[in-house]
Amino acid sequence: MLQFSRFVAVRFIMAIITLLMVSFIVFSLMELVPANCAERYLAFKNTQGEQVSVADIRAEEIRMGLDKPYVTRWVNWVSDVFVRGDFGTSCILRVRVNDLLGTKFWISLGICMASLLLAYTIAIPVGIYSATTNKPGLNNVLRFVSYLGLAMPNFLLALMIMLASTILFGDSLTGLFSKEYRDVPWSFDRLMNFLSHAWLPVFILGWSATAFALQTVRALMSDEYNKLYVTAARARGLSGRQLLWRYPARHALGPIINSLGFDLNRIFNELPIIALILTLTEAGALLLESLARSNDQQLAGAIIFMLTASIIGLNFFTDIMLAVLDPRVRRGILGNA
Amino acid sequence: MSRSLLSVDNLTVKFKTDEGMVTAVDAVSFELKQGEILGLVGESGSGKSVTAKSLMLLNAGNTTYGGDSKIVLHNEDRDIDVLSAKEQRDMMAIRGGAISMIFQEPMASFAPAITIGDQMVEQLLLHGSMNKREARELSIDMLNRVGISDAKARFNQYAFELSGGMRQRAMIAMALSTQPKLLIADEPTTALDVTIQAQVLDLMKDLIAEFGMAVLLITHDLGVIAQTADRVAVMYLGKIVETGSVRQIIRAPKHPYTKGLLKALPDLDDLGAPLTPVAGDIPSPLERPAGCVFHTRCPEIIAGRCNTIIPEITDLGDGHSVSCLAAEPSMVTSA
Repeated sequence: MLQFSRFVAVRFIMAIITLLMVSFIVFSLMELVPANCAERYLAFKNTQGEQVSVADIRAEEIRMGLDKPYVTRWVNWVSDVFVRGDFGTSCILRVRVNDLLGTKFWISLGICMASLLLAYTIAIPVGIYSATTNKPGLNNVLRFVSYLGLAMPNFLLALMIMLASTILFGDSLTGLFSKEYRDVPWSFDRLMNFLSHAWLPVFILGWSATAFALQTVRALMSDEYNKLYVTAARARGLSGRQLLWRYPARHALGPIINSLGFDLNRIFNELPIIALILTLTEAGALLLESLARSNDQQLAGAIIFMLTASIIGLNFFTDIMLAVLDPRVRRGILGNA
Repeated sequence: MSRSLLSVDNLTVKFKTDEGMVTAVDAVSFELKQGEILGLVGESGSGKSVTAKSLMLLNAGNTTYGGDSKIVLHNEDRDIDVLSAKEQRDMMAIRGGAISMIFQEPMASFAPAITIGDQMVEQLLLHGSMNKREARELSIDMLNRVGISDAKARFNQYAFELSGGMRQRAMIAMALSTQPKLLIADEPTTALDVTIQAQVLDLMKDLIAEFGMAVLLITHDLGVIAQTADRVAVMYLGKIVETGSVRQIIRAPKHPYTKGLLKALPDLDDLGAPLTPVAGDIPSPLERPAGCVFHTRCPEIIAGRCNTIIPEITDLGDGHSVSCLAAEPSMVTSA
């Protein structure tokens, strides 16, 4: 037990180190964007009709601390993020990034996690069933649906659903809230309104994730199912569910858990496009906007950092799960004890 | 001692594959008496393992058994028709109750993420009327008896934490813990180092004598058979080509294939003698030769007969029988 807590602690520290490295990369990317925050803001002012001189820019740089060395600025940024969870101020909008993102980030993370949950809730039982039954018809149908999910781009699915819904119900199903709930504080009614809208992005993102997960689960399961230890267990009289869950399913679970982090990453990648099409005013769309339209590196950096942190967090979690489930992994990390 | 335990009659096993029906076992019959050790010898692909797995209905889903094939297990109170076993208690008897099996690869036959003890206890709870504590005690006792040191600690370990020989010992302990009437050992020592092989074989012999069970010992190694078995059945391409006592088979083999197998063994007394392998390769089961299945590799082939006529099983007396046209006594007289 002590060993296990040590393992968790070590993994936690490693996750923090990874996060620090990510923060450095993200910070460097923010720096590499042509023109710094001061120049960008004043250039923006310029388009608003204000006269800006080079001296104004220099003064603004000093005010924002942009004249300090690169590493100092990174340390400042990263310590603000880690200690106070403060991502600084948006370059252009001049509001705190935290206020700007608000609950938006958590909403998009929630949507991604829900898609992931949906995918595996469907994929695990269906994948196991299809790997262990000898019904060619069923397996062909599953394969077809699965390939459809893999081959059809998510945005196409989104457009098709929107089109169908507009024609049939006169509602394009866009947005995450109805008009009256858009800018009001959270309440029970607002939550219900949110849920009545959120199923669509969850479904669309979950669709291809399910197809992917189904293939993974099926392959892993039929792999395990044909292994000798399953035959040996059968030879000892085990059968039915007892055999299935304790032997092949249990042993396939490790690699399935391993694929979670990868899948979340994929869902994150797909989120901005879906968010754009369904006009969801949440983090994914905000990232595109901040990069493409207003070139707001502070905001973009914060979003990239938070997405990456979620993936690192999930991987930390799956590592622990894996060690709990598989004695080989556990022994590999803890040594012989 | 002499009561029959298992009768296999006309066992034919076919697999449905993409290339067509493959015959893995072709009209095999044999009898196993209580307490008897029968060795089943043959090359890879001769159908030994498929025959053994049929006894416990462990073959894959694409298997069909011949219509007139019959496997009967003469269990204490009643006979069980294995191939048509449906009832739960019959299945439990043939799987782990009256029959246990140990496999070639001890590492792969333990579930990697379940402790050895849990797998042993699980089996005992499934078959006996024991409680958990009793099952645990018996399992540790069995691990002790197969010569595993520090059995209590091993009980809580995983297969990957044990050495190869230790794993096979644990497998034997697990197989014997339910006190089966028949132990099927499928190449039990093939994956082990030679020195460990001898230890495990000795252990098996001791335990077999102690528990008084019958054994079907599958191997390609005639040396193992000579040390362990009472009787031998030689298989080639799904057929039993020769059966007899160990003495008959080793001293006076009648089938050219058996002779070939014996010649292929290295002779420690004459190290200079070249090894003489059985010429050629075992044909694909998809293209089974017409006539005698061995005629494509047979040094004693009788042209025009062996490639057309399927040889009958000839009883040579004293339990020795052979299916070979060249070895039939009638052939010698009529020719």
